[in-house]
Amino acid sequence: MNDVLTGLLQESVSGIALGCIYALIAFGFTLIYRATEVVNFAQGELMMVGAYVNFFFVTQFSGVLGGVNFWVYLFAFAGSIIFAILFGILLDYIINRPLKDEPVFSVIMATISLAIILRSLTAIIAGPISLVPASPFGDNTFNIGSVVISILDISIIIWTIVLMAIFYFFFNKTRWGIAMKATSTDPEAAQLMGIPIKQVYRFVWIFAALVGVIGGVLLAPRMALLDTNISYLGLKAFPAAILGGFGSIPGAVVGGIILGIIETISMGTLSFHFEWVKEINDIIVWIVLIVVLMIRPNGLFGIAKVKRV
Amino acid sequence: MKGRYDDENLKWIPVLILAIFLFPFILKGATSSYKYYLYVLNIAGIYMILTIGLDLLSGFTGLMSLGHAAFLAIGAYSSAILVDQVGIPFELSIFISPVIAGLFGLVIGFPALRIEGMYLGLTTMGFGFIVKRLIIALREWTGGSAGMPVSKATIFGFTINNDWDNYFMIYSFVIISVIIARRIVISKLGRAFMAIRDSEQAAQASGINLAKYKMLSFFISGLFAGFAGVLFAHTSHFISTDHFDILLSIYFIVMVLIGGAGSIYGAVLGTLFIVLMENLFIPLFKDGLAKYIHLEAGDFQAFIFGFIMLLFIIFQPLGLYGMWLKIRIYWKLFPFNPRRRST
Repeated sequence: MNDVLTGLLQESVSGIALGCIYALIAFGFTLIYRATEVVNFAQGELMMVGAYVNFFFVTQFSGVLGGVNFWVYLFAFAGSIIFAILFGILLDYIINRPLKDEPVFSVIMATISLAIILRSLTAIIAGPISLVPASPFGDNTFNIGSVVISILDISIIIWTIVLMAIFYFFFNKTRWGIAMKATSTDPEAAQLMGIPIKQVYRFVWIFAALVGVIGGVLLAPRMALLDTNISYLGLKAFPAAILGGFGSIPGAVVGGIILGIIETISMGTLSFHFEWVKEINDIIVWIVLIVVLMIRPNGLFGIAKVKRV
Repeated sequence: MKGRYDDENLKWIPVLILAIFLFPFILKGATSSYKYYLYVLNIAGIYMILTIGLDLLSGFTGLMSLGHAAFLAIGAYSSAILVDQVGIPFELSIFISPVIAGLFGLVIGFPALRIEGMYLGLTTMGFGFIVKRLIIALREWTGGSAGMPVSKATIFGFTINNDWDNYFMIYSFVIISVIIARRIVISKLGRAFMAIRDSEQAAQASGINLAKYKMLSFFISGLFAGFAGVLFAHTSHFISTDHFDILLSIYFIVMVLIGGAGSIYGAVLGTLFIVLMENLFIPLFKDGLAKYIHLEAGDFQAFIFGFIMLLFIIFQPLGLYGMWLKIRIYWKLFPFNPRRRST
């Protein structure tokens, strides 16, 4: 019995770390959806691009600085963040600006084609070989009682908490954050109040690229191999965003963590003890999602919109 | 008094149908590799039947579906199992298998009564994953993830052997599907669908039973998709879960939207456009380009596909049918100003 409990605890920690990645991607969805009502299908691809760019920087810097050390990772991380900001501005120019007066579904399709472009372009540039990402923490672990916890997982969790705190502060305390909130509530009224909504939308895309890239940087060391398939994690983060309620920031975090834990536990302990769980491992997330939506059609934290006729 | 089909010029329809059936003969005369072109057109035809159904659901009723490949899979697998393992003749399976897919449509239509918008899109996407997993789990009948071979179609003793025969079978059904879909759209049913799309509250206030019509929309859409699945199974002779990927579902909705949601011809055109672009134009373009640039990665094709789509959306956001309408209105207005019909 004690073994089962230890296993569950261990899987929970690892699940929370995975859930944090989901939460970051879901957060990217949420940001863009709140501001423009566009569902960004390219969020998973942004994460993949982030993982690749970080890998590229790590290889380059370790060549310059001679060997892989702490500074290499720090510089690579900084480089990825600068890349993310530039990339967000680029996305604003090619996706958001030309389509700003068009119906939402056109923009959604543009993000779908962007996803195709990013995935294929990354495959062309990086070549068909899977890369082996390095981790700044190696395979180091530490024990609490009999629970073995990887330092990488803890670092992911801490990073996510820090990021969420920064975003929370930004959205609620700063001028630009409040302008963003106002724009997402009512763009026209916001414009009348003198908010430059063009810049606000640009900020939204920059933030989406930023969380995507950071998610990729954090995720890459967790994967044994880095290839373009990790962009499909974006599809897995969809249920996370939906579960919490699309457009709700705490919802994205809670949804992501719940799904991360469920997925890890079902792959670990449940599959070990019940044979049939193996069959539904990769769809358990969707089953949970459908059940939750049947009970709460707007997700856990979503608020039903009042419709006027 | 206006006729029923007052938005189209009916006298061109027989010409168009004749052109569709004469096309393979022209193709055969024009090029020796006509078999490949026919194969691509057959795929387009099968997808057309599905996207017509998807258009009825998403374009006309306004219910988003990101899991339509699942209905295609259900139709394909049920027909394969019914014909090859149960021993039901193909002529009967054409009717039974779509109904099975339609019943699954009802299953997913049930949550749609409460869930809307993007939430519904994701629910249907989840349905797509679940169906795929279910097919793998039922490996005694479906062959699991390895896939299963399917027998050739036999209609009243006449075996459909190759792409040439397939073309005539598939496009006959495409024409029938278009006619049925157009009849649905102009009937009471279609008007109810459009009323639900435009405003659920107003529709309900006008006495439309939301639950009934939403379920019906899913059922009909499932019928079309299941039917496409039957054709897919018996013309490709081999099916596996890889054929019904989640990305295919997203492509289907892209086909509907690029054609112009809310028009049957738009769905047909959009499907033709995407399939031809992916299978004919881009490989040609790539071969032409390979003379100048050294290319090895196979992903280059996907890159051009995404790039063309992005450009298309940026410059023509209303889709192919919207483009056609613009041209038509321009020509109508050209000398004088005839009455302009709101679409």
